[in-house]
Amino acid sequence: MYPNALILGPLFWIIMGVIYTVTVTGFYYWTKDKGIRLNWWKWLLSVLWFTGTNVVIAGAFTLFGENETRAGLYFIGLFGVLFLILGVGLWRILSPR
Amino acid sequence: MKIKGNGLNRRNFIKTAGITGGVLALAGSAGAGLASGKNKDSFTGWGRTAYGKDQFFNRKPFITDNPTYEKVGESRRITYIEDLFKRNGELSRLLFARGNEAPSWTFDDGAEKLPEPLRTYYLEHPESLGEFRKAIQKSQEQEENWQKYKNKYLLADAWSSAHASAIQGQGAFPPQPKGLPEESDFRGVKKEALKLKSPGHGSSLIKQITYSFGASLIGIARVKEDWVYQGYLRGVGKGEYEVPGHWKYAVVIAVPHEWDSMYANPTYGTSYDAYSKLRFIAGKLEVFLREIGYAARSHVPPTSYEIAMPPLAIDAGLGEQGRHGVLITPELGANTRLAAVTTNMPLEPDKPIDIGIREFCSKCKICAEECPSGAISFTDEPENVIRGYKRWNIDADKCFTIWNSVATSHARGCRVCLAVCPYSRKNNWIHNIVREVDPRDPTGVFSSAMLAMQKKFFNYPGGQAYLPPPDGENSTYGEAPSWLMTEEWFNY
Repeated sequence: MYPNALILGPLFWIIMGVIYTVTVTGFYYWTKDKGIRLNWWKWLLSVLWFTGTNVVIAGAFTLFGENETRAGLYFIGLFGVLFLILGVGLWRILSPR
Repeated sequence: MKIKGNGLNRRNFIKTAGITGGVLALAGSAGAGLASGKNKDSFTGWGRTAYGKDQFFNRKPFITDNPTYEKVGESRRITYIEDLFKRNGELSRLLFARGNEAPSWTFDDGAEKLPEPLRTYYLEHPESLGEFRKAIQKSQEQEENWQKYKNKYLLADAWSSAHASAIQGQGAFPPQPKGLPEESDFRGVKKEALKLKSPGHGSSLIKQITYSFGASLIGIARVKEDWVYQGYLRGVGKGEYEVPGHWKYAVVIAVPHEWDSMYANPTYGTSYDAYSKLRFIAGKLEVFLREIGYAARSHVPPTSYEIAMPPLAIDAGLGEQGRHGVLITPELGANTRLAAVTTNMPLEPDKPIDIGIREFCSKCKICAEECPSGAISFTDEPENVIRGYKRWNIDADKCFTIWNSVATSHARGCRVCLAVCPYSRKNNWIHNIVREVDPRDPTGVFSSAMLAMQKKFFNYPGGQAYLPPPDGENSTYGEAPSWLMTEEWFNY
């Protein structure tokens, strides 16, 4: 499948790199327009949250790919909810008071 | 820049692209994860084998001078009659005489009338004789029940038979030794051996060569007397034997079963895929060693061994023995099948490793819960002292009864304990995180958390479910691969 393919694999990860760059840039302008001031640790928390959310999604789908549907659902159920709660917490930290 | 008509400026465009990018990134992660899970290359042992890339786990941080088996008393060699297959073979020859001859022994005669060494063994282990009787009854039932299942499991059975065909009969490779090891193991050895640069060179060379023959994992150990069978030698027969002096080192080889079928045990899996691979690898290595001037003897499955494999593989640094008695390696988990080649080539042995398998097994017990025969111990700590070594004991007789009970054409194994072991996982990112973090956590908190997830998240049918109706549902641990499902290809 494409992320493991010899030609499409590297292309996939190059495109993913572009997508992440666009996401971070978009986030930067979005926070500026909202009047949110991001210092280094707020940036760090935001990047960690987004990376973690990606890992949760990738983890669940890895288990789906292994035909472990139940394990994948439990995985996303547990860690997905956890990251949702963390996301709300992060939003409260980031949002201007 | 302002795009006419829709009020979208450059800033808004980047912000919109950012949100879209965030969604696409999550979708990309999902796709990458799905591909990683499906990827057949991450089934260790069926991809980059020939270049040693299956042995990907860095063992150096876990090397120990003390092997993880625990010697607690005076040790002794295992007698051949303690081996289930040797014992059952001898008993079967008495029970099922060839041609028109009458059986020379029946169960009603009792253990007293058995020839030695069976007599002594069964007088000491009467429950073992009862279990064998049960296994034979189950075997007859299995033969009758097979009519009901033969179409459903046609492909699995044919696939197993195809693998088995390469290792049975007179044409089996490698050929059985003939005569004393001092003759047999030297047969065909080239007289003029070149001077080896060092034992380290010897080990590196042999590993490269053995990988190229298809071995997934290789370790080298000194042959320890405790692991060598007593009372029978292939090529010679019964008798008391010293360990041959030229069995200095053992090159221990491990390969996995094909993974999809292994997860679909007991009915879709087979032992013979790994067995035939091991026999070809060990047999070729035997020839190679003789060609470069050294004595060699293969010890290969299913029963052509003079050495007990799991402790030898522990000495060779391949892994540790699990609760189920099977060697657990970091790369293959319990999906590890073993063979060895003994030789007098000067080699540099590997060192044993300690990656905390025993501590994990003391908590896990999934194999014991899932074993259809109840042959695996539930005790937290090993409580049996076997020939001077403390370990969890496996009731091999009960295990064999289940071989004769599951819906296969004949007793060709169960392997559920291999499939359900949490270590038997793919070589992909999610399992590699666990592989690397778990042995480095001295508190055991990580492994406890992983185990809790394993038990809650994954589906385990339960021991009884693997049996055919009415006792069970012919369940398999994992879903069978389509290429072994008759209904995918044939109308019946």
